[in-house]
Amino acid sequence: MKLALWSYQAPAHVGVSKAAASFGNVHCVVRAPKGDGYSTIMLAMFERLGVLPPLSFCGMSEATLAGAAADLPALLREIDAREHPEMIVVTRSATAAVLQEPLDGEVAMMRPGDVAAEIFMATTHPIRDTELSAFAKTTRDIVAHFAADVPRSERPSVNIIGPSLLGFHDRANVESLRKSLDVLGIEINAVVPLGATPDDLRTIGRAWVNVPTAAELAKPTLDFLRERFGTPHVEELPYGEAGTTRFLRELCALCEIPAERIALAAKDAKLLWYSRTVDAHALSSKRVAVFGLPSAAAGLARVLRDELDMEIEFVGTYVTDYGDWLRARVADITSEVLVTDDYREVRRAIDRTRPDIMFGSQMERHSASEFGVPCAVVSPPSHILNFPLGYAPFIGYDGANHIGDLVNQTQVLGLEHHLIETFGPRGQGRFAEAAPEPLAEPADAAQPGVPVAAGDGVRWDPAAERLLGRVPFFVRKKARANVEKYARERNLATIDEAVMLRAREHVGG
Amino acid sequence: MFEQTTGAIERDDFCSLAPIGWLHHKMQDSFFLVVGTGSCQGFLQTALGVMIFAKPRFATAVLDEDDLGGADPLDGLRPIVAAIVAEHAPKAIFLASTCTPEILKMNVAGCAAPLEAEFGVRVYPCRLDGFDAAYTQGEDHVLQAMIARSPETTEKNLVILGCLSALEEAEIRLECAQMGLPEPAFLPGESALDVPPLGPNTVLAAVHPYLQGATTFAARERGCPAHKSLFPFGPDGTRAFYETLAAAFGKTVSYAERERDAWAALAPQTAPLAGKTIVFCSDAMLELPLARTLRAAGARVPLAGTPNIYKKFHAAELATLSGVEILERPDRFALFARLSELRPDLVVANLNIANPLEGMGFAVKWSTELTFQPIHGFSGASTLFGMFAAALRRHEALAARRARDGAEGAPIDLGFFQLAGARR
Repeated sequence: MKLALWSYQAPAHVGVSKAAASFGNVHCVVRAPKGDGYSTIMLAMFERLGVLPPLSFCGMSEATLAGAAADLPALLREIDAREHPEMIVVTRSATAAVLQEPLDGEVAMMRPGDVAAEIFMATTHPIRDTELSAFAKTTRDIVAHFAADVPRSERPSVNIIGPSLLGFHDRANVESLRKSLDVLGIEINAVVPLGATPDDLRTIGRAWVNVPTAAELAKPTLDFLRERFGTPHVEELPYGEAGTTRFLRELCALCEIPAERIALAAKDAKLLWYSRTVDAHALSSKRVAVFGLPSAAAGLARVLRDELDMEIEFVGTYVTDYGDWLRARVADITSEVLVTDDYREVRRAIDRTRPDIMFGSQMERHSASEFGVPCAVVSPPSHILNFPLGYAPFIGYDGANHIGDLVNQTQVLGLEHHLIETFGPRGQGRFAEAAPEPLAEPADAAQPGVPVAAGDGVRWDPAAERLLGRVPFFVRKKARANVEKYARERNLATIDEAVMLRAREHVGG
Repeated sequence: MFEQTTGAIERDDFCSLAPIGWLHHKMQDSFFLVVGTGSCQGFLQTALGVMIFAKPRFATAVLDEDDLGGADPLDGLRPIVAAIVAEHAPKAIFLASTCTPEILKMNVAGCAAPLEAEFGVRVYPCRLDGFDAAYTQGEDHVLQAMIARSPETTEKNLVILGCLSALEEAEIRLECAQMGLPEPAFLPGESALDVPPLGPNTVLAAVHPYLQGATTFAARERGCPAHKSLFPFGPDGTRAFYETLAAAFGKTVSYAERERDAWAALAPQTAPLAGKTIVFCSDAMLELPLARTLRAAGARVPLAGTPNIYKKFHAAELATLSGVEILERPDRFALFARLSELRPDLVVANLNIANPLEGMGFAVKWSTELTFQPIHGFSGASTLFGMFAAALRRHEALAARRARDGAEGAPIDLGFFQLAGARR
């Protein structure tokens, strides 16, 4: 047994379902108890889907404990009839794996033609695989399942490998790359897995080059496509303005097209110019740290150092088998590489180095806030805030502009914070937006035993005042005003608990 | 459109670990140690949010392959409990068994007594797994574990069963004082060690419809008689609740006038509900009492899904619901089929299906909120009805403006994620 408080990665079945549900015309079924069903909520909520996600749970119940079999065939028939997917991917959660149910056998026993969809049993291990490794392998498996021999496209074309549902700013990242590729006359053959249908996968071999948006998500698929079709891939990560230019140069060489048009693609890129402006000069004195997925950490660290001249305190990742990869990528930037999946170690590193800006995941945002360090979120684990309605890419030229804005906004906010703390009204300084422990003594509590005077001669007795302290802080002011209004209207001189509750009954709050 | 085609059932609910969210807040000296897999850890992290990120008073002992191979869980738990005791110094630890230990028939509960003896901290064994009918029943299991440690008594005392906010408790305390009843004890209280004495003369009144297990357990183990009343939601339920409490102490108290006054005061919140059709999808097992009080407030509730019906425990509520079609443990698509026939003004649904239902054109009230807002009693009624009134008002106002502007706002569907014409 191992004590786990918070973790960076979800269990393997989440990775499988993220990959499988992202493909077009593919449905995913997870055999799991209902706690695991929370991933459908994440999908529906974060992606704000107005339809049911292509993800179903074959639930476990008390009957399962008593030895009842999973009614997998019935669920598969149901999905087949309702959604008509071309493929249904079946996987199980760690809990279901413990049961060692013969799910494969149940599927094998189904009559031929019982369901029109192809049934695909995921190859990942529910306990040994991580969210990330399961995602990467499942993506590869589904690609490999459909890939067929096709002639190469006439014009240069690419497959973009990595973006998915619940991915980090992935739709915007694809759009940002597409704009540059359009200018260069490079066609997008498929985006995998986000939206790629089995038809798209059957012709995946048309592409001249593969473009990973994150090495760790794409690697098994890249390896497969290289082996099967000999397709090369771009090594450079398209982070930052100079980084995107390097990336496009590499791509143009592989596509055998002249690199001149890259300048045209870069015409709206502003990061390098911003870096030259007076406004940005102070960045040289800023110390920063980066922690997240390996590709995001490597890409961001290079932008911050090479393009903005910020000082890197440390770079790190929670994908522990990518530690060496990350070290090699940032060897010329820093030797301080933190490889850990324990958020407490990262928190200690933040505490020790106290960077001016932290670039990390939602986990680092929370850790950094404890030390008053501003944090920009640049990697999963994500928050619904990382699913903006608008266009906020992290890669390509538009991504470079966005990174510049993010640096700018985060440090300006940091300064504002400092000013509020220094000059702001008492009690509203430090993290006024962060929720205090709801049961803590209220900031505006009365001295015990001393009735508190309210406006117009209404008094609060200490018990009522304590009860008011229990009202959530963000509505406490309104509640106080409501209760006092109620008391005044009824000519009550003192507010006790009974008056307070009566008031709540009449005016809410 | 949503006709069921096979016997497959898709339900929309989540795990009984969820009540840890409010229980660990209520009992500030508690720690919840969940024995399970990465799935449990992932659920706690994503569902219970990050507001208590810095020093969470709950954690998962993640089983590894040794544990699955039959190792004694006590060996694995010892160092973990030692670390928790050293860092958090809790007064009590809730040791929760989950799906995986249950499947493996792992004796997690049996570890409680030796751990308690070794570390000098009370350890309550409980089952918080995904096998319950409703996620709220996690609270039922926790309270049952606490009742097992209650001192026995023959006194005539009053115990209110169910996790409430300080506001809700204050009302009950005041009303009991006014009726001349003994000072009520609350289970859970603010300390995880606060377990009131229970016995055959105890009046044990559950305030949540999902506490059947703890109530039955108290009856069996301590002889506490059943408290047969409506649950204290809305003026009608609250009146019945207090009058029944008084009766249990041999007093006749009428809350008729109090109920009338309460309804009158609630007019701003209930007027918008009059004549409106509201349907409940199955979620927290709060559906029956809420359907009852919404009908009393003037709404029409033709249909309520609910995860489980306990015929005796819910008898008083069921008796008020004639004419309401009640679907127990409904299939998602069977429910959708009924919704498209009924076209209600408001659908009460959980996060699984809330956005998709909006996408299908229904006005949705998010149901999970009902489990953590203070909606009990006379003083909670305006919050209760206000939530429904606000949801209706918002939906109607926005729909009217969208219609005026001829701009509907298309729902996001999966086609949105396909790179339109990727290949040109």
